[in-house]
Amino acid sequence: MIQNMLICRCEEVLLADIVASIENGAGTLKAIKMETRAGMGICQGRTCRMLLEQVMDFHTDINVQEANNLSYNNPVRPISLANLSRSGKDSEP
Amino acid sequence: MPMKYDLVIIGAGPAGMGAAIIAASHGASVALVDENPVPGGKLRGQVYKEPKANWWIGQEIARNMEKEIKQLGVTCFLEREVWAIYPKWKIMLNNGEQLESDYVVLATGAIEKPIPIPGWTTPGVMAIGAAQVMANIHRVKPGNRVAIIGIDALSLTIAYDLKMAGVDVVGIYLPPFNEFSLDKSNPLKMIAYLSSLSHLAPNPILKLLGKLGKQASVQKLGVNYYPPFGMRVWGIPLHLRKAVVQILGDELVEAIKVTTIDRSGELETKQEKRIPVDCVCISGGLYPLVELANVAGCAFVYVEDLGGHIPLYSDEMETTQSGIFVAGNSTGVEGAKVAMAQGELVGAIISNRLGLLKHGTELIKQAKEKVNVARKNAVIKFHPTIESGREKVLHLWNEKAVK
Repeated sequence: MIQNMLICRCEEVLLADIVASIENGAGTLKAIKMETRAGMGICQGRTCRMLLEQVMDFHTDINVQEANNLSYNNPVRPISLANLSRSGKDSEP
Repeated sequence: MPMKYDLVIIGAGPAGMGAAIIAASHGASVALVDENPVPGGKLRGQVYKEPKANWWIGQEIARNMEKEIKQLGVTCFLEREVWAIYPKWKIMLNNGEQLESDYVVLATGAIEKPIPIPGWTTPGVMAIGAAQVMANIHRVKPGNRVAIIGIDALSLTIAYDLKMAGVDVVGIYLPPFNEFSLDKSNPLKMIAYLSSLSHLAPNPILKLLGKLGKQASVQKLGVNYYPPFGMRVWGIPLHLRKAVVQILGDELVEAIKVTTIDRSGELETKQEKRIPVDCVCISGGLYPLVELANVAGCAFVYVEDLGGHIPLYSDEMETTQSGIFVAGNSTGVEGAKVAMAQGELVGAIISNRLGLLKHGTELIKQAKEKVNVARKNAVIKFHPTIESGREKVLHLWNEKAVK
């Protein structure tokens, strides 16, 4: 029952999916993200980033709290394409 | 077209407003950005009686600071979110506006950690801070019968707020043990934590718990003999031996399933009970919101005592990216008074860098002292070891500087 909890609400990823991903060899938060899409939805992991770290910490020997291996990327908040084009930024990394 | 300012502050809570007032009063041109329609941040939700003084009414304090900001000519960009910071430094707002400054203060505060338990995504379940915003800022009851999961300084404070707002708080419970709750599901560890909370705490629940005893042996007795029906504080049953194992309801929260737990946190599943509620608040604690410091390229450290990953900062609150400063809860989770004092300190430091101060060194020294005093007199400590956390950061900074 517990394994059926939603962890990433945006992408509808269950705890069971994340644990399975680890069991299948995902050894980094990035690998879990790539496989399950957890953290890749509209909120960009604002709810589940911390939860993914905790699942990793609990189910592996990796101490993610020391590693902080999920990066943040621009845009850190949702922005419409219309407003993005208005910002006049088109060649930034 | 970019708009140029001496200083851009992101976050108009107590830290951001504190920085804006000081910098603007020394003549800096200041832009203040916040996602809410009104400045004040979480300060606006705070209401409590101070131990030896009057009531601390966050709304009023925020309104006064807002007045000051307007008188000083600070430009407010409200209902705007910052989606990026580019060197050196361009601040991008989500409506297409663009601000430019050599100095940026990140005062973005903290966000809540969820504790997932089965049913936690059902409508009617919310973070405890959301319940405070609803009750204290918008004057709307989050529910009529509310259960609270997670025992900490914030949840106990807000339980009291909800009670004052006329909500029937059916109980404060532990979460069940899982990947996310860990020590927060353990009765013995929770008693130890609760007794470390300041006895000066501004509400009767915290006061009572602060007196429970600081010795391990007393704490153990407390767990063993903790009444199975909970301890009623201010009419709210506080359960250290019961966990909410599931939140029930299809379209909306209808009930919680509560199980007795033994002293080490193991569930006694035979003792399950269904309690009807229409709202559940989960409190998993706070951690600093640091995404902008991260995209700006600031170096990070992990300091448990401050709430987790934070940007490394100097004794002048500057990060490893020159011109980017931090203040308030985004540097570590503390109360509004500390945040305000930190903001004022950063405001003074940046005014000095801008060449606006005659007696800069003296002013900065006074502002630093004010932060220390606010920290020492704090009525609620979210992390009992905050001071050692702050020292650890300075130590790490100096270590880095030597390299």
